[in-house]
Amino acid sequence: MRSVNLLEWMFALIGPVGLACGSVLMKFPEWLGGAFSTSYVAAFSKKAEPAEGGVETTAEDPAEQAPEWPTDAGSVQSLVDEMLKQSRYALLLRPQLVENLTVDQLIRTRAALSDGMCLVPEGQVVLHRGAGICDGDGESAAHGSVPVYVLAFYLDRYPVTNAQFHDFVASGGYEQMAIWDQEILPALLDFVDQTGHPGPRYWHNGRYPRGENNHPVVGVSWYEAAAFSRWAGKRLVTDAEWIKAGSWPVALEGHPLLQRRYPWGEAMDRSRANLWGSGPGRTVSVDQFPGGVSVGGVQQLIGNVWEWTADAFSLENSDGSAGLEKTHFKSLRGGAFDTYLDTQATCHFQSGDRAMARKHNIGFRSAINLGDLIKRDNGYEVVPSQPVEPSLAETQK
Amino acid sequence: MNRGIAVELDSFRLANFGNQMPCLICEEGNMLDADTCRNCYAPMILAHQAQSQSTPPVMFAALGPSGVGKTVYLGMLLDMLSRQPKQLQLSARGGFSVTLQQNTLAALARLEFPNKTPNEPDRWNWVHCQLRSPKHRHPVELVLPDIAGEALFEEVDHPRSYRVIHSMLSRCDGVLVLIDGTKLQSGSLDEDYFTMKLLSHLSELPKDPKSNWSNRPVALIFSKADQCESCFDDPAGYAQRHAPGLWRVCQQRFRKHRFFAAGVAGACATRTLRGGGLQSVPLRIEPRGIVEPFEWLVENLRT
Repeated sequence: MRSVNLLEWMFALIGPVGLACGSVLMKFPEWLGGAFSTSYVAAFSKKAEPAEGGVETTAEDPAEQAPEWPTDAGSVQSLVDEMLKQSRYALLLRPQLVENLTVDQLIRTRAALSDGMCLVPEGQVVLHRGAGICDGDGESAAHGSVPVYVLAFYLDRYPVTNAQFHDFVASGGYEQMAIWDQEILPALLDFVDQTGHPGPRYWHNGRYPRGENNHPVVGVSWYEAAAFSRWAGKRLVTDAEWIKAGSWPVALEGHPLLQRRYPWGEAMDRSRANLWGSGPGRTVSVDQFPGGVSVGGVQQLIGNVWEWTADAFSLENSDGSAGLEKTHFKSLRGGAFDTYLDTQATCHFQSGDRAMARKHNIGFRSAINLGDLIKRDNGYEVVPSQPVEPSLAETQK
Repeated sequence: MNRGIAVELDSFRLANFGNQMPCLICEEGNMLDADTCRNCYAPMILAHQAQSQSTPPVMFAALGPSGVGKTVYLGMLLDMLSRQPKQLQLSARGGFSVTLQQNTLAALARLEFPNKTPNEPDRWNWVHCQLRSPKHRHPVELVLPDIAGEALFEEVDHPRSYRVIHSMLSRCDGVLVLIDGTKLQSGSLDEDYFTMKLLSHLSELPKDPKSNWSNRPVALIFSKADQCESCFDDPAGYAQRHAPGLWRVCQQRFRKHRFFAAGVAGACATRTLRGGGLQSVPLRIEPRGIVEPFEWLVENLRT
C-alpha cells in the first residue's frame, strides 16, 4: 500500500526534483509493472568500474565502501536508509515524502539536515551591479547597488566533497537524463575523468585521488554541479543567497544595510582561509580553516575552491550596458586556494567562467528553500527514536 | 693657531665627472651624471649600483612577441618572489625596481592587463634586485628588463637597430622565451615562426665558444596556459604537437632548454567597450607555473 502512495507523490511532483525522486524508484522495476524499459533501468544502475592501476582510494574512504542498493528491492526503509547515507536528506524532507518515514528515520533525516546545512534567515542583501569591475582599490565599482530580498533557505555547511560526488557517480548520476539540463545532453559524454569514465575531470577510473574523500570536488562543470544538486534534492545557490550567507547583512533603521566584507569581519585574515600564500597551494579538507566560518555557521565560503552559483556572470560598463561578449559564463564566488589578491576573495567579488569549464579550483555547494521542506509545526512531531516500524504516518493515526 | 676645516675640493669632483662611466649593458662610456646611456638608452643607475658590487650582476631577459604577456609574467614573478619567505627570494634594489610589479598588479587588480610596453628603450621598466637561492651561498645581483615585443622583433629582423637589445642578448645569462599557448592551440603558425626567428637570432650572436648560447639556459614558457590547460599537463609534448619547428630548433641548438606552461588569469573574457572596441579582461588572478621557469634558470646558471 505504501509503495502505491509513494508512486502517487512521485508523479505528482513537478520539475527536476520530482524526476530525481522518480529515478530513485525506478530501481524497483517490479513496482512499476515493467512500465520502464529494462535497458534504462540497467543504464541507471550502472556503477563506476573498479579502479585498475590508477589512483586508488584508501580502505577507510567512503568511496571504498560504496553502498550497495538494497537487495530486498521492495523495502522502502532500505531505500530511505540508502538515501540518508548518500546525504539526500533534502529529498526525504519534502512534504510529499515525509509521510513514508518512520519516526526514527525522520529524526535521523532532520539530524542530517542540521549537520549538513545551515539556515540563513530571510532578508535583504545588496548586490553590486558589475561586481566584477573593480575600482582603484580593487573593490567593486558598484555602478549601482541592487537590493534583493532573499527568502529563508538552507545552505550546505561545506562545499560538496569528493565522497559525496562519488555517491552521485556510483549511483549512475551521469546516466539519469532527467536531472540534467536539456541543452547539455549532447555534451554529456564529454564529462569524463582522466581515464574516460563519467566523473570529475581529475579523477581516475571513476574514483577520486587517494585521501581526498573530504576535499571539495573540483573539475566539474556548472552543469555537473546543477545535476548533482538536483539529484540530492537541492539546487545551486544563487548569487544573492551566497552573499547573504557570507556577509550576513544587518539592517539598522536609518542606515544603509551593513554587509561584512568577509564572513569573519571587515579585514582580510589569511589564517582563516585557504588562499595563495596561506595554505599548501592545493585544496584542503572542507573542515579545515574553521576560523573562516560565517555567522550562520557556513564554512569555507572564502578560499579553498571557487563555487559555482546558479546565476549568469556579467560585466557591465559604467553606463549599465552589457560589457561582456555573448558567452555562456556562469558566476563564481569566494576565491580558491590559488587566489592571489585579497580583493578577489571577498563576499562581494564576482568572477565567472564558461559553464562547461572543468577546472582544478572550481567546486560548488547547494541550497534549498526553507519553504520546500516540511516544517516542525505542520503536525509532525519529532519523538525519541523508536524501532523502525511503524511508520510516522501510522503513528499519527 | 691652526684650525682644521673641511673644504670641498671641487676640482676633484670635476675631475671625477670627467671620467667615463661605462654603461652596464653596452659598456659605452657615459658622463657620471647621465640618466640613460647615450648609446643604448639603458638607465645608468644600473651601472652605478653594479659598480658598488664586487661581482657583475647576472642578467636575464623575458622575450617574445608583442602581447604574449611578458610584462604580466615579469610583474607577477617579481611580486610573488618578493612577497613570500620562500627559498627563492627577490628584493628590489632601488625604487625603480618596484615599478614594474606595482604597475602590473595595480592593473590586474582593476581587472585589466597592463598597457603595452612602449618601443622606446628609455621608457622600459628595468629591475635590479638581489636574488637569494639555496644554490648560491651569497645573494646574487640580478638585472631584468621588460623589453617591448615590437622592438625585439625589429632587432631580430634588422640587427643592431636596437643597440640595447643587441647588447643585452649578448650579455644575458639566460632567457625566458614566452610563446602564446592559445594562438598555437588555434592553429596559428605565427608564434612558431616568431620564436624560431628569435632562437635562431640568439644562436647566431657572436660569443666565445665556451659561453655561446648553446650552453646558456633557455626556458620556453607557454603563456596564457589557463586558456589551454593541456599545456600544463605536458608542455614539451604540447610544443612537439603544436610548434614542431620550434621544437626542432631547440633540440638542435640549445643544450639547456626546457618547456613550461604559465598562466596568471584564471579565466578571461572579451569585453565590448563603449567606443566599440574589444578588450580582454582577466576575471581573476591565480598565478600558475610562474616561478618554476625562473627557478630552473637560476639552477642552471653558470657558476
